[in-house]
Amino acid sequence: MAEVKEITRKLEEIQKKIKAEIPWEPVGPTPMPEIPDLRNWDMRLLKTYAPFYAPFCDLCCFCTYGKCDLTETRRGACGIDIATQQARWVLLACLMGCSAHSAHAGHILEFLIEKHGPDKKIDLGGSINIEAPHIRTVVGLKPETLGDLQIALEYVFKEITHLLDSTNMGQEGSYLDYESKALHAGMLDHVGMEVADIAQIVGFNYPTSVADTPLIDLGWAAVDKSKPVILFVGHNPATSTVVIDYLRENNLYDQVEVCGVCCTALETSRYSDRAKVVGPFSRQLFFIRSGIADVIMTDEQCIRTDMPIEASKAGSALIATLDKAMYGLEEASEMDTAEIVRQMVDDKKHFAILDPRKAAEVAAKVAMEIAPQRRKEWLTEGEAKELATKCNVCGMCEQVCPNLFNIGAGIAEVAKGKFELIREQFNLCVGCGKCEAECPRKIPIFKIMQVAASMEKWKVRAGRGPIMDTEIRTVGAPITLGTIPGVVALVGCSNFPDIRDIAEMVDEFAKRKYIVVVSGCTSMVAGMWKDADGKTVYEKYSPAFEAGGVVNVGSCVANSHITGAAIKIANIFAALPLRGNYEVMADYVLNRVGAVGIAWGAYSQKAASIGTGCNRLGIPVILGPHSSKYRRLYLSRKEEDDWKVMDARKKEIVDTGEPSPEHLAYVCETKEKAMVMIPKLCIRKNDTPQGRAIKLNHYVSLHKKYMGGGLPEDIQLFVRRDPDIPLVYKKEVREYLQRIGWKPREPVGLPTLIGTYPSKVSVDAVIH
Amino acid sequence: MSAVIPYHRVNVLTGIKSARLIEDAQEYAGLIQKAKRPLLVLGPLLLKSSLDGRLLIEYALEIAKAANIPTCATAHVRAKMAELGVKPDSFYDVVEIINALKDPNWRGVKKEGNHDLVLFFGIRSDLGEQGLSVLKHFAPHLKTMTLCKYYFPNANYSLPNFRKDEQWKAFLESLIDNLKKGV
Repeated sequence: MAEVKEITRKLEEIQKKIKAEIPWEPVGPTPMPEIPDLRNWDMRLLKTYAPFYAPFCDLCCFCTYGKCDLTETRRGACGIDIATQQARWVLLACLMGCSAHSAHAGHILEFLIEKHGPDKKIDLGGSINIEAPHIRTVVGLKPETLGDLQIALEYVFKEITHLLDSTNMGQEGSYLDYESKALHAGMLDHVGMEVADIAQIVGFNYPTSVADTPLIDLGWAAVDKSKPVILFVGHNPATSTVVIDYLRENNLYDQVEVCGVCCTALETSRYSDRAKVVGPFSRQLFFIRSGIADVIMTDEQCIRTDMPIEASKAGSALIATLDKAMYGLEEASEMDTAEIVRQMVDDKKHFAILDPRKAAEVAAKVAMEIAPQRRKEWLTEGEAKELATKCNVCGMCEQVCPNLFNIGAGIAEVAKGKFELIREQFNLCVGCGKCEAECPRKIPIFKIMQVAASMEKWKVRAGRGPIMDTEIRTVGAPITLGTIPGVVALVGCSNFPDIRDIAEMVDEFAKRKYIVVVSGCTSMVAGMWKDADGKTVYEKYSPAFEAGGVVNVGSCVANSHITGAAIKIANIFAALPLRGNYEVMADYVLNRVGAVGIAWGAYSQKAASIGTGCNRLGIPVILGPHSSKYRRLYLSRKEEDDWKVMDARKKEIVDTGEPSPEHLAYVCETKEKAMVMIPKLCIRKNDTPQGRAIKLNHYVSLHKKYMGGGLPEDIQLFVRRDPDIPLVYKKEVREYLQRIGWKPREPVGLPTLIGTYPSKVSVDAVIH
Repeated sequence: MSAVIPYHRVNVLTGIKSARLIEDAQEYAGLIQKAKRPLLVLGPLLLKSSLDGRLLIEYALEIAKAANIPTCATAHVRAKMAELGVKPDSFYDVVEIINALKDPNWRGVKKEGNHDLVLFFGIRSDLGEQGLSVLKHFAPHLKTMTLCKYYFPNANYSLPNFRKDEQWKAFLESLIDNLKKGV
């Protein structure tokens, strides 16, 4: 009885928070879900897509009972085994990522509420009515004001605390339950990201309800170094926007160059299309060491933790603007501005300044004072050759390189006056600087790389935020029928095996009329290539969310709009209610929306969290080779696993034998393999024969292109009946199927996992 | 014995159980020949590197032929094999073959039962080392062996960090000879 009362009270509280009395949609079964609420859905996913663990370390070092060796059948002093320890790590990584985005959201929201008040209306323009698909689905709330976003965020913060609690010594003992919790953290992350980006769009008046956003100058060569240069590094635009306001208000914007690395660059270019985007995280240290920035302003996430050291070495002034990273610097928000400027100019002192207005004024004044005194020359080939002669090819640089290449060989070539190899290697460099730190002869490798870096200026399209409802209405049917063969989202960080892979992937799939979506550092890198006509992919393809379009949604937090678009397809096109109805949305996406994420250069915990959030929503993710270090994948074994679904129309469980999508989190080693996996992971059970034939056409054609001809050896698993066979390959595929004794099977009318596992949701809930 | 540090420092072992380092090609050949159902997993680095003008894939295929070891082509290795007129015995990407190998009841690429010795050759070292970690922890029913130039702590049997390509080439050639001789 007491328990019933408790449940009722909790439900009442939730209903109050989500304003359940406003009947924009009926409240579904899981508004503000807690850890156990979507556990059955997770377990169903994990049954087919079992966790695959690659321990990065054999030990557990978390508590004072340890270190505990967890090899073979050993358990730690607390009883934990190696699989559970990996899952615990994964949960921690997801929580770090989720916290980074959500705390960013919290900070920016506080900043914007102070600026505009909590009643500032959320208006994303005439083409976006479903303003917050994640908040509506997960939280059950339709946010109308900035203040409403706080409600969503409070829920996220509360759940993060419970999840983090479970990682303490002597808690969860099942790897599957840790995975369920990681999936929960991933889902929360997309809510946090959505809060951040909606707040930014509303509060900073970013472009919205528009596809054709401005083309922004991209690349280190785009930065006018003859002017005082202010460089933003990080993800949070609170200060960068204030700097631009300050420059505008004081008529200084023409005199000062504003640029950025990483996501703050993308955010700032949404605020002012004159701000330059230098490049991704992997070019951060390279650019800082070039000394082009007079003032570096850091905010949060993906900023070098040795920034004060690097800034001093380059002769740049540093201002840390957010509490997340203060580097032990003196906090000067209360200090006299003139005195801060004096100390920064005369004493070369760096400061933390958490007051954005003060930070902006100081940055502008310091930049203008020190710029004329600083030399910003790019290295010449002759100078590079001279510096490189010290190299004795000891190989230490190669040993510490995370991308496993031998920069020493490139340096040795430079010493001979040959630059071809180092230009090639610059494309492989992930920008960590470990080679230079390890070099026993202290050769300034990054400086020498200046002769390898292209002096090309490129373009990146400014991030546009959410996909418009009007676009969803147009593409919803062809995506779910399969006639648009898929949505390919290239997202995330810049730990690429080769930076050139990205533009090639974008070009390949846009050309094939997939919808290509990009975000974060990947969106910049996509622009760092030009075709024979001198066009980047942003100039070559339409910016609309349509077949053959290349859409830049924006920074890391804008990733929520990509997954949000998948939810919108279920809600707008299929008219399924989303409010507190996560399972139905995820089930729809898994079975009917042919979308795949590619995080080819993922390195951060944020990427782990974003990817895991995609997985809970039924979107598979392909990761580059470095990502095996995340420790966990979700892989199926296509011929052995459970591919049963419920046919919701017939109310029958059908064993399809069709591994679609085959994996949920998958690492591949080469671009060529990724090119073949992308079309395969866009296949869904809901495809019509026409749609399936189009998808298989790309699968076969890319397989032939990159795998040396022939048919994919698993093609029979995806051909249900003869009309599924692509016309171009009809004869070849028919012969193959006949040879292996393939038997046709009926497509499933309305495939769903609901009804195949214990759930509060009824099968009827998926019928639209 | 002091720990061997892998050439690529990202692969340094944090743990106790590490590979047995073997430099003697005859001993390697003996281990391979003792195996009942070996498997050779071929990675894409075999298409990039040469020893004395001969692509590594050619060494790999010669090893497979000499000891009658079935092959698994990962990544886009099959494209080059098609050019060379050789058909791999199976096609799995590296994480997929490792996922299958984890299962003691898997029937193997020849459908004769799971493999008891898996040789890895040509996978980029960080991914390879992670894959070996999977098998070290979750596949006690099999042994792993590497043929790459560097030491892999998570394997059961590994070559040392060869300082020079010539040493590696000599090892591979001796291995092939030993396998051919049936030592």
